Amino acid sequence: MATTTAPTATPPVEAGNGGQGGLVRFVRRHVLTAYTIGAFLYLFLPVFIVILFSFNDNQGRFNFTWQRFTLKHWGNAFGIPNLFDSLVTSFQIALISAAIATTLGTLIALALVRYHFRGRATTNLLLFLPMATPEVVLGSSLLAFFLTLQVARGFWTIVVAHIMFNISYVVVTVKARLTGFDRHLEEAAMDLYATEWTTFRKVTLPMIMPGVFAAFLLGFALSFDDFIITNFNSGQTVTFPLYIWGAARIGVPPQVNVFGTAIFVITVSIMFLNVYVQRRRA
Amino acid sequence: MATDVTAVRGLGFVARLRARYGRRAVPYLLLVPGGAWLLFFYVIPLAQLAGVSLQEGSFETGYEMTWRWSNYSNALSEFSEQFIRSVVYAGLATLAALIIAYPLAYFIAFRGGRYKNLLLVLILMPFLTPFLLRTLAWKVILADSGWVVETMKTIGLMPSNGRLLATGWAVVAGITYNFLAFMTLPIYVSLEKVDRSLIEAANDLYASTATAFRKVTFPLSLPGVVAGTLLTFIPAAGDYVNAQLLGNPQQLMVGNVIDSRFLRVLDYPTAAALSFTLMVAILLLIIPYVRASGTEDLVA
Amino acid sequence: MAATVATSEVHSGTETPAVELIGVTKAFAHFVAVDDLHLAIGENRFFALLGPSGCGKTTTLRMVGGFEDQTSGVIKLHGEDVTGLRPYRRPVNTVFQSYALFPHLTIFENVAFGLRRQKVDSGEVNRRVNDMLELVQLTGMTRRKPRQLSGGQQQRVALARALINHPRVLLLDEPLGALDLKLRKEMQIELKRIQSEVGITFVHVTHDQEEAMTMADTIAVMNSGRIERLGSPTDIYEDPRSTFVAGFLGASNLLEGVALDGAGTARLPDGTVVHLPAGAVSAGEGSVRFGVRPEKVRLYEPSDPALPGNSVVGTVKDASFIGVSTQFLVTTSFGVDLVAVEQNIAPNRFRPGDRVAVGWDPEHSFVVHGD
Repeated sequence: MATTTAPTATPPVEAGNGGQGGLVRFVRRHVLTAYTIGAFLYLFLPVFIVILFSFNDNQGRFNFTWQRFTLKHWGNAFGIPNLFDSLVTSFQIALISAAIATTLGTLIALALVRYHFRGRATTNLLLFLPMATPEVVLGSSLLAFFLTLQVARGFWTIVVAHIMFNISYVVVTVKARLTGFDRHLEEAAMDLYATEWTTFRKVTLPMIMPGVFAAFLLGFALSFDDFIITNFNSGQTVTFPLYIWGAARIGVPPQVNVFGTAIFVITVSIMFLNVYVQRRRA
Repeated sequence: MATDVTAVRGLGFVARLRARYGRRAVPYLLLVPGGAWLLFFYVIPLAQLAGVSLQEGSFETGYEMTWRWSNYSNALSEFSEQFIRSVVYAGLATLAALIIAYPLAYFIAFRGGRYKNLLLVLILMPFLTPFLLRTLAWKVILADSGWVVETMKTIGLMPSNGRLLATGWAVVAGITYNFLAFMTLPIYVSLEKVDRSLIEAANDLYASTATAFRKVTFPLSLPGVVAGTLLTFIPAAGDYVNAQLLGNPQQLMVGNVIDSRFLRVLDYPTAAALSFTLMVAILLLIIPYVRASGTEDLVA
Repeated sequence: MAATVATSEVHSGTETPAVELIGVTKAFAHFVAVDDLHLAIGENRFFALLGPSGCGKTTTLRMVGGFEDQTSGVIKLHGEDVTGLRPYRRPVNTVFQSYALFPHLTIFENVAFGLRRQKVDSGEVNRRVNDMLELVQLTGMTRRKPRQLSGGQQQRVALARALINHPRVLLLDEPLGALDLKLRKEMQIELKRIQSEVGITFVHVTHDQEEAMTMADTIAVMNSGRIERLGSPTDIYEDPRSTFVAGFLGASNLLEGVALDGAGTARLPDGTVVHLPAGAVSAGEGSVRFGVRPEKVRLYEPSDPALPGNSVVGTVKDASFIGVSTQFLVTTSFGVDLVAVEQNIAPNRFRPGDRVAVGWDPEHSFVVHGD
């Protein structure tokens, strides 16, 4: 066998070798970390402000300049009846609309992932549209719709609107969970004498439950925090975001910050609890 | 020849029906409840809005359908400034969000390790405070006597009588912040999926870290970038909360106009025409964008 | 185009086949996956459906299991027409390629799943699950979840889960594909043992011809939706009858020659006359293609007086030592490469470049048709 010397390629020397390169490399490695820390500070700055100003002993109606630390707003959290009512209303709306939207959306997701049917591509597109439509358009078109039908705007029109825009998000969330799902699991169940309904109950549903639950939480959060669409369709009903909007002009009471902080703390705790439980289960 | 299903023993009538049509009907049955809801509360209202946009009249005199296409031209000419402003603000905010979010997403995807999920949760956490409260917080941060403005004046980035609030900059800053999560998450998902061995292969083939990023990682993350920009730009263009709280009344966005026309002036036809124009404008902007980046199956 | 092979291997006319497919076709919009299949599988057989990817073997299995509907034709299980019946109404069970174990259930509940659907009472469920786990040698794993088990263990759970329901036929869809070589060989023997112990019909789909030959009593070789050959491993191997089967099952040396009238011989392009098995070639057939298995040929000196009935002269192109045997590649003067595999009983005499005669017993040749 003849031996040949193959020409060796010389790779370009990467910058940063050698003594002076040490500093460069240090910076390069850590600049991203430093940036990330900065980004997180940026993200949390407004949150910090919200929390801080719930302790502000503000002068006058507005709560924009820091005066003094005080706990009195926390003590007087329920002092403003309209505020608390709006919270309750928001909570109820979020609960109902998230529950219904999750159910409807999960069914759609199942249909889209599991079955090949005519119009599948069209349905995908149709579902994407509400997410691509600006909230002003969604809100105003629904308002016009309700006006034509002469339906009084209030609690239930808000629920209807929230369900509408939540469905798309639910479908996307559950779909993501479903596509990794082994189709054969359902066939195996049927092979083992489970009817379609039993298969759904005993196999499909337990397996997609985390995704469904995540979709529910997403829907809940989106509904609770929604402003624009709600603004158009609320009539006299006041949700928490609407309350804040109305108060913004004449002065937002610090109790709003108190509740905002409370919501934040509660949801964060729930999230960490959820993660902890998942960790334990695995 | 087709087998005679109805002749199979042991099946009742319903079951036989199901056997013949059942499996094919199931997807449609699943779609009906949700689909009907969307049809009724999304498609029909939109169609109706289209109709309203062509009507004429006022709240007192009532509205009449007169195919008044001039509603559109009037709206466009009267509010062209707001339209352009919306597009510009939303575009700037989207760009800013992209610049801020990309390195962040990169860090979590490539350096996050065991803490990836925790970091993602941390990104989402600020958005658990109400949208309006967050925006109002920016009012505090960007206040005239606040730390930010003071520093900028000291450095010389701003004239001594300048301010941030009630300017376009504040509005853009607000929008950027509020939609940052929508930009970060899709980019993260895309980056996370990048097969590390591809980067190693690039290195093996004499590409430096920077080149490998340019030639391998970044292109592979494009679907996420596209998704993120869409998810940010679209709501941003229609937003008016940031403009209302952080901007000034002389510099309204299209959303503000629609809101006031609908709820205060009660000029429904104009408002409807504006809404539709906004929607069409957005679609016109994003469809070629999506096509160009070759990621149509994002939607699927 | 090969005619549909007569594919009944039911031994006596009065025995009801365990599985029977009559004129079964599965057609999709753009192609036909299974084309007018006729097949009868007897009781207590280990039956293999063998073929390359896309030949329709998995589709056939799925139709028997009820996961796909046939476009036309009838499927019978133990004489009963099951057309249109959903999987949960058929007396068969399936072992899936991916095992399809329910990840959210314990091993115990996985195996008990079918029993619970049949409303078997708890005491008996307990007893039968434990017995079954013992059969597949997985006692003590009841509380674990599937992801905590190795691939081989998961495979056995899938088997247990299916067998516990006493199906009259067990369908296996390439169940050993995901296992490593050593484990696969062990499981092949295991499955064979279990089948003979349990005494029911196994229908095993695989693309691995060695696996099919190891395990099955009867093999059906499928190609493009049709059965090309059906028979015992030995029959099919020694008499493939079609070029496809000859190439798919083991390796073959294929030669083409011109049939010479009368004597059951053919002339090769270099003039050599070879003898074919009695009755294999009919008079006036023109060109004939035939083959001989590599292990049936040996290398000789061209002038060796002990040359067997058939021999072709050529030059050794390659000699590869593979431990158990040496594989020779010999090029004939008309350009065809012949493969000879000789056991390493005596030291190898031939080197690349040597002129040799490749010889074999005429009875070992087989004639093939088609492509």
